[in-house]
Amino acid sequence: MIGAILDRLRSARGMRRARLEAFGAIVHLAWPRSLVFVDRVMARRVTRVAGEPAIWQGSEPAVGERVLSAPLEAHLQITNRCGAGCQGCYTGASPDGAPGEWGLAEWKRALDELAAAGVFHVALGGGESASVPWLGELADHARARGIVPNLTTSGLEGLDALVAIAGRFGQINVSLDGLGPTYAAVRGFDGFARADEAIRRLRAVKREVGINVVVTRHNFAELPELFAYAKQRRLSEVELLRFKPSGRGAAAYRDLRCTDEQHRAFLPTVLAATKRHRVRVKVDCSYTPMLAHHSPDRALLAELAVYGCTGGDFLVGAKADGRLTACSFMASPPERPRVTELRSYWERSDAFGAFRTWRTAQEPCASCDYHELCRGGCKVVSAHVTGDASAPDPECPRVQAHRPRVHLPVL
Amino acid sequence: MKRGRILAIKWGMNPNSSSLGVDVTFLLVGATALAMATPLIGALLRWRKAPVDPAK
Ligand code: SF4
Ligand code: SF4
Repeated sequence: MIGAILDRLRSARGMRRARLEAFGAIVHLAWPRSLVFVDRVMARRVTRVAGEPAIWQGSEPAVGERVLSAPLEAHLQITNRCGAGCQGCYTGASPDGAPGEWGLAEWKRALDELAAAGVFHVALGGGESASVPWLGELADHARARGIVPNLTTSGLEGLDALVAIAGRFGQINVSLDGLGPTYAAVRGFDGFARADEAIRRLRAVKREVGINVVVTRHNFAELPELFAYAKQRRLSEVELLRFKPSGRGAAAYRDLRCTDEQHRAFLPTVLAATKRHRVRVKVDCSYTPMLAHHSPDRALLAELAVYGCTGGDFLVGAKADGRLTACSFMASPPERPRVTELRSYWERSDAFGAFRTWRTAQEPCASCDYHELCRGGCKVVSAHVTGDASAPDPECPRVQAHRPRVHLPVL
Repeated sequence: MKRGRILAIKWGMNPNSSSLGVDVTFLLVGATALAMATPLIGALLRWRKAPVDPAK
């Protein structure tokens, strides 16, 4: 046991990297898998920083006080081709894909740019990313540039090829929005058996395999069973995603979004399932208002890097034609630079619009104890429901208590 | 000599290509478990200095 741990530590030793930030540095540990944020004093002790870096001039801010020097991770939609036709697909994927989709050469250049900026991880998605014939070569290129490639797949296409290259990825999650008939209720067709097969075959060759669950009103009651399933299949994590009104999901929003009661019950439900089944749980950034509703220790949230809407700061997205976006759920205007121009766009004062101006918040966010972490909730939901991406998240329980006249679609 | 501080630890890797996933398992066990893990991470960090990339 101790020998195995030491072996993992030794093999991970050469894979650590660090990036300086105004508050100090972020160190990437390959084992245990983590990004560690340290202050300037500790950064001097644990990184090979020399002299007095320009980024450390001036006072030492807290984490989150200033935009990071580059995103932690980039979400690359390497294709928008997919034949599944899920009713809530946030990218509106189709068998034809998107106009002007990039190929391998462009995505390799994108990875070069991301590496030059200091990005640690990429999440490759689609469409169905596993159907892309050059996926393995792209993953190799990311590794060669010091970036860890991670992947989301539906498990419905390209499985044989993916199983053969699974080891090249850090973490692979399969989208699984329900067991048996619930899968069909959420996605609009019965794909559970195929997704389950993909999970079993990937898990047979790789330890770091999990499931992504888009939580809707139809599968909320089934969350404990999904955790039991993850335990039974020996999966490394369950990642829970709030339903976003984006792509085909905009039309399906009123039928699929969780009820307000479900949102208020989200955290206790999830923690109880985690405790019972002993499976790690991740929640996406848009769930921070539902966590804040239960008044968790703010210092603990900050120590766990639990932030809300950090699009255009901690994360960045690129559409299938390379256009940058603060968050993959957000549309990207045609004139938006490509991800190969990330570093120059990142520094612009108008970059990413409302995602960077969250400090000028309306009530009740302005006076909320969690605003520094949450940043006003999910801008995709705000934009869809209120027409204003900078408006307080209308699904946040505190926002609902403050403005009872915010009318969400009738449930 | 000042030792410096670990400010935050973001656990795991995010495969989700649409939003940022954070591990909230620690909310179950609370600050005590994290306080126990942090010195171990600190020791690992000091074990070998990480190269800084990109040069700023
Ligand atoms: S809009 Fe913000 S909170 Fe919503 S998914 Fe994107 S980054 Fe996360
Ligand atoms: S009131 Fe605003 S800042 Fe506070 S939890 Fe709700 S959305 Fe987040």
